Amino acid sequence: MSDTAYVQLLNLTAGAVLLCAVLVLWRRELAVIIRLFAAQGVALAALIAVLAWHEGSPELAVLAAGVAVLRAGVLPAVLRRALGTAREGTEPVREVRPVVNVAASLLAAALLTLLAFAVSRPIVELAPSPATQAVPIGMAVVLIGFFVLVTRRRAVSHLVGFLLMDNGITAVGFLTTAGIGLIVEVGVALDVLLALLVLQVLTGRMREAFGNTDLDELRELHD
Amino acid sequence: MNTVEVALGCAAGSALLAVLAALVVRRRARPAVVGTLTAITGAAGVVAGAAALLGERFAVELPWIVPLSGIALTVDGLGAAFLAVSGAVAVAAAIYGIGYSHHGLDSRGVQATFPLFVLSLLLVPAAGSITTFLVCWELMALTSLVLVVSEHRRRAEVASAARWYAVMTHLGFVAVLIGLLILSAPADGDAFAAVRAAAADLSPAVAGTAFVLCLAGFGSKSGIVPLHAWLPRAHPEAPSHVSALMSAAMVNLGVYGIVRVGFDLLAVDAERWWWLLVLVLGAISAGYGILQAVVSTDLKRLLAHSTTENMGLVLVGVGASGLFASIGSPVLAALALTAALMHVVGHAAFKTLLFLAAGSVLHATGTRDLDSLGGLRTGMPLTTAAFGLGALAASALPPGTAFVSEWVLLQSLIHGLPAPDAAPAAAPTVTVVVLPLAVAVVALTAGLAVVTFVKAFGVGFLARPRSDAAAHAIESPATMLAGMGLAAVAATVLAVAPTLVLPTLGRVAAGLVGSPAPIADAVSVELVGVTGLLSPVLVVVALVVAAVLVVAIPRVLAGRRARREARLWDCGGGPLSPRTEYTATSFAEPLQRVFDTVLQPVQDVDVTHHQESRYLIAAVEYRRRVPDRIERHLYEPVLSFVTRWGRAGRALATGSVHRYLGYGLCTLCALMLLLVLA
Amino acid sequence: MTDSTTLGLVGGLLQAVVIVAGAPLLVGLMRQVRARMEGRVGAGIRQPWRDLRKQFRKEPITPRGTSEVFRAAPVAMVAITLVVAAIAPFVTAASPLPGVADLFVVVALLATGTVAIALAGIDTGTAFGGMGASRETTILALVEPTALVAIFALSVRAGSTNLSAIVDSTLAEPSAVLSPAALLAAAALVLVIVAETGRLPVDNPATHLELTMVHEAMVLEYAGPDLALIELGSAMRSAVYLGLLANLFVPWGIATEAGVLALLVGVVAFVVKVGVLGAALAAAEVFLAKVRLFRVPELLAGSFLLALLAVTASYVLA
Repeated sequence: MSDTAYVQLLNLTAGAVLLCAVLVLWRRELAVIIRLFAAQGVALAALIAVLAWHEGSPELAVLAAGVAVLRAGVLPAVLRRALGTAREGTEPVREVRPVVNVAASLLAAALLTLLAFAVSRPIVELAPSPATQAVPIGMAVVLIGFFVLVTRRRAVSHLVGFLLMDNGITAVGFLTTAGIGLIVEVGVALDVLLALLVLQVLTGRMREAFGNTDLDELRELHD
Repeated sequence: MNTVEVALGCAAGSALLAVLAALVVRRRARPAVVGTLTAITGAAGVVAGAAALLGERFAVELPWIVPLSGIALTVDGLGAAFLAVSGAVAVAAAIYGIGYSHHGLDSRGVQATFPLFVLSLLLVPAAGSITTFLVCWELMALTSLVLVVSEHRRRAEVASAARWYAVMTHLGFVAVLIGLLILSAPADGDAFAAVRAAAADLSPAVAGTAFVLCLAGFGSKSGIVPLHAWLPRAHPEAPSHVSALMSAAMVNLGVYGIVRVGFDLLAVDAERWWWLLVLVLGAISAGYGILQAVVSTDLKRLLAHSTTENMGLVLVGVGASGLFASIGSPVLAALALTAALMHVVGHAAFKTLLFLAAGSVLHATGTRDLDSLGGLRTGMPLTTAAFGLGALAASALPPGTAFVSEWVLLQSLIHGLPAPDAAPAAAPTVTVVVLPLAVAVVALTAGLAVVTFVKAFGVGFLARPRSDAAAHAIESPATMLAGMGLAAVAATVLAVAPTLVLPTLGRVAAGLVGSPAPIADAVSVELVGVTGLLSPVLVVVALVVAAVLVVAIPRVLAGRRARREARLWDCGGGPLSPRTEYTATSFAEPLQRVFDTVLQPVQDVDVTHHQESRYLIAAVEYRRRVPDRIERHLYEPVLSFVTRWGRAGRALATGSVHRYLGYGLCTLCALMLLLVLA
Repeated sequence: MTDSTTLGLVGGLLQAVVIVAGAPLLVGLMRQVRARMEGRVGAGIRQPWRDLRKQFRKEPITPRGTSEVFRAAPVAMVAITLVVAAIAPFVTAASPLPGVADLFVVVALLATGTVAIALAGIDTGTAFGGMGASRETTILALVEPTALVAIFALSVRAGSTNLSAIVDSTLAEPSAVLSPAALLAAAALVLVIVAETGRLPVDNPATHLELTMVHEAMVLEYAGPDLALIELGSAMRSAVYLGLLANLFVPWGIATEAGVLALLVGVVAFVVKVGVLGAALAAAEVFLAKVRLFRVPELLAGSFLLALLAVTASYVLA
């Protein structure tokens, strides 16, 4: 693969990862949010595949396939199941009133991106290469994921926020070191899956207890 | 003998003559005599400034005027630009004042203060030493304060506005005083040249403190957020020609102070965070000022808020310039500073025009409330045209005055990012983060300015009158129209042929930051060092040609038929009353909702029902107020703290004279004891 | 006279003519696409021209109580759009007036056109006129940051905001079109264009209900030749905006040298590009509903974010 094509594909896939994160902030419907998350998984897998191709490493290619299966297939399916049970109830399947309104969260995302850029600049300058140049994007996804976690009320969007952070961390990892090692990645993936399953069970319990999954209800536990 | 000297002498002479005339001439002839002499003062100021801009230098020391230090005047390029602007505004305002000075404004005190105010505006940028500067600065503050209270008998709000102004302007003065004294302490004498020479020895902390103090003092004069609270109070309450002088000339001197201290006196110590601070404060002021302007319904208050906005934009330019200088790109620094200076000049022209036109409306209708104006174009066509021109100039649309300076500012900002393939060291992280945000703020400000001035012009002057006063408005006297006319000519010339002044301002800016001139001497605005070309003349010519074509071609092709009048579409409900018109409040409502979280307006709706039935509504009353949030959160705690201490202090004052004398004795003894012990 | 000046003059005249003649056809095309996709026959793409011809021959009407502003606004709006049509790079990369063909100037000029119509809307003194003007200027104010930051992103690569320079730099480096910066800027500009030309989901150009109108509410009082000018002006605005979008990102086919063949190719390429974009926009509209006015800021905040990301990406992802 030629160098320009590699750089362009890398940038495109990295851009797609960020775009999906932004769109998660933008859209309200939970089903769409999950679909966007799956799309981000695909973009992330593509990003790793591009790296694998460039370095000619079969190990990375396997990892790319693994990421695609887990993040574009399994995790969205689990989330969709959580949503499916929600749909049987009476609660709305949208993020009706986020803590920070959508326009303000989009502006906040803009600032977070600039912040991510500012903090990761020294890292980029350590070893400037097309891959490390995209590191700020991974950082931005982490911050946006955190922001989703902070400002969204519904349990499912919380899960997505958490997973966005994880996607961001994975992206940063691959972009800086070109592969953390198969074992580590598999371990992390299993961890994430386990956490998600636990959270899904929790969500189900919450619904049984409160009738919906608005996390503000948890405040009652304080009293 | 050089021109600057003669002109400044003329200015001072005619101003003092005007003061004398105000005291001795009969009431009926007083405004005309004083106005004419003050206009001559202003004109002499313009001549002095122009001569100095063209290269003449002037410095004089008059040790006999003020004891101990004397008065020193020095006119250099930077001072000359501000001198000329102040003088030009003064000419228009003084001529306008002849017709505007009616009941109460033609008293001896007010008429004698006005020329002094104009003279102080001319002398501040001409000051050559710190003492001179501070004396003129204080003279300017006091005379403007007297002029602000001049209508206190007619309106109760004037007193409160004047109190705010008096307190804040003096706090600002104290800040400037301390800041400049810190600078002059190690210097040999208080002349600017001596201070400049001694600045290299200052430690960074001392220099930084001095700069921040000066920034606070000068910023408060320019109405920079959060020290802006006095501006929307005092500027509207002053008589309109004084408002014009304050809003178009006096606020500039705050910018002058910042530039003088940061780029001249302390140039060797300047650090990047100073300029970041200036840029951020400027951006906040620009955004906040224009948001307040969008939602205000008082015509003059709206203009005052817009002054905060424009000064904010100027400071964005100044801050960007310092930032570029600190990262080692003097060409961009000169360009940004040129944009700031050009904006000062353009703002002076259109803000004079707008305030004078607003004064004309106030003169004719007795109200400044946009919600009860409208339909003024039938009664006051010339004032309407003047305000329309000013609104176009202020809203940064081509072919307008502010568009040129904002274009130059945007060009300097977007060229601040080097080409992507340049070395990463070429742009520090901070510029990469700050510049896009600065562009966004400038753009948002420009967009909101459009809404503000469409609202002010459309609702205030077009459509149908919303009150009897507006319906029966008649055009102002000739002198007022002449004042507006001068400002209108200035605004038009600056919009169409900005290159009459831009290259000169560019040279002034280049001299301050040490770079080649950023703007070429040509008919169109051509940037040197970066690519950029704008030709306002061609924009106008192209628009005129296109308009002629658009009128002519359909007439040729489709023929021409006579115009007929017809009823408005009233949904079949009969003739519409003016009460169905959109008001200024309703016009700004969508934006107010969009920026709800920033503005936090207070609204209440009162519904009055019919007595017979609760289901029938007799009247609905809607009130909306947009309190200044910054003011509430910043000033109110301070004010309540001061009030609490004041109350506590009251316990000391019982009214007994013996007790008061006793306090004096105790203090004296305590002091002596202190001396003995020390 | 140099080669590029000749090209600029001839091309400028040519593209002004093409846009004036073609803009109503573009509107017709967009309506026809919508009609077909909604299962209607449609009036044919020449219908807007027939309407214009009829309206131009009618008697001019002045509603009672309106002023010169009301009468001058349509002329001003069409004149401004005509200037933009002549100077921006649509058919040729050279411009007859290089001192005007600046992206900031073009965006600000088009905004001035909007302001003229908004003032006319207020001048009628009806509730609908004021309402339309208020909404239109609100949208204008919120679009401005997106537009200017997107311009910023585009100019970083070219090192200039001059339209010809931007087009030339894209022609010189075709691979830049697929960079994330360019794609994000394009997405942001699409939203800007949707908002500025009053298309769904920001405004519904086909609505008949005054309370949901934005642009139409302002021009409710116009009739006859004045209305014809307004209609022609809005059609030209659509064409100009779509043309800018096309040539800023996909400039191929634009004439870079003076010659009959090159100009002909330029015209054909321009017409095809704008036609395809217009049809795509119309097709997308079939699936969209108008959003509430107070949801529009969300849309614009999103587009602002895209524009800002474009600037950052143009620098980060070199």
